[in-house]
Amino acid sequence: MKPSVPAVRAALWRSALLAVLWWALTDGRADSWGVGSVSILAAAILSLRLLPPVSTYISRVGLLRFLIFFFYHSLRGGIQVAWFALRPRLSLRPAIHEIPLRLPEGIGRVLLANTLSLLPGTLSVELNGRRLCMHVLDAAAPTEVEVRRAEVRVAHMLGLELEET
Amino acid sequence: MTTIEIASVILLLTGAAFFFAGTVGLLRFPDVYTRLHALAKADNLGLGFIMLGLLLQAPGPATVLKLVLIWLLALAASATVGFLIARRARQNGIVPWQSGDRE
Repeated sequence: MKPSVPAVRAALWRSALLAVLWWALTDGRADSWGVGSVSILAAAILSLRLLPPVSTYISRVGLLRFLIFFFYHSLRGGIQVAWFALRPRLSLRPAIHEIPLRLPEGIGRVLLANTLSLLPGTLSVELNGRRLCMHVLDAAAPTEVEVRRAEVRVAHMLGLELEET
Repeated sequence: MTTIEIASVILLLTGAAFFFAGTVGLLRFPDVYTRLHALAKADNLGLGFIMLGLLLQAPGPATVLKLVLIWLLALAASATVGFLIARRARQNGIVPWQSGDRE
């Protein structure tokens, strides 16, 4: 069977990334490349078996905007949660919110759920089809607005269309 | 101390402060869900600032890449494990603590 073009491209890309990883792990030592090339080859084959090549489109501007969004909201939320933890009287008002996602099925939803867990103040509890169940520290915070904002960033980065719910 | 060293120390201290707040949250927050919030923040911001502080002192690009990778792996693990623990807790019927309950 002749390998398809996307498979060859994926194999080359992944080998290149793994080579960079090996270089970082060994601090670029020249005498490590013997073991290194065998490891890189084995890892590339394993990776192609575990995750067959998929077309992953990532917009560069989208990625940058996503990262800025992520850093800014991490910092803002982090200070807020630190304040919750350190103030003398514990004044948490947790709640469970259920939000129907507009992202299509697949990697986008998982990435959004994980992003929201890392952003302080929201924690993804369940992802069931398009229903995302979230635990929030402050019931009064405008959670839905923030989820929608994150959703738009993820969709823009991965080139996905948002569906109406 | 050079400017870079001072900036590095400030970043490391900021990271330590977020780890401290995260640990206090872990001890003080009332239930499993709220404690997971505290942990995720320590991983994201605490480790993030410590990584930035160490980046400034890194001897070469290989170390820079290694530090960033450590942070990204910790983030992926933190998000996944936090989600799994929270989902399991909810499936087991653990009701989230509410502001009227006793601590």
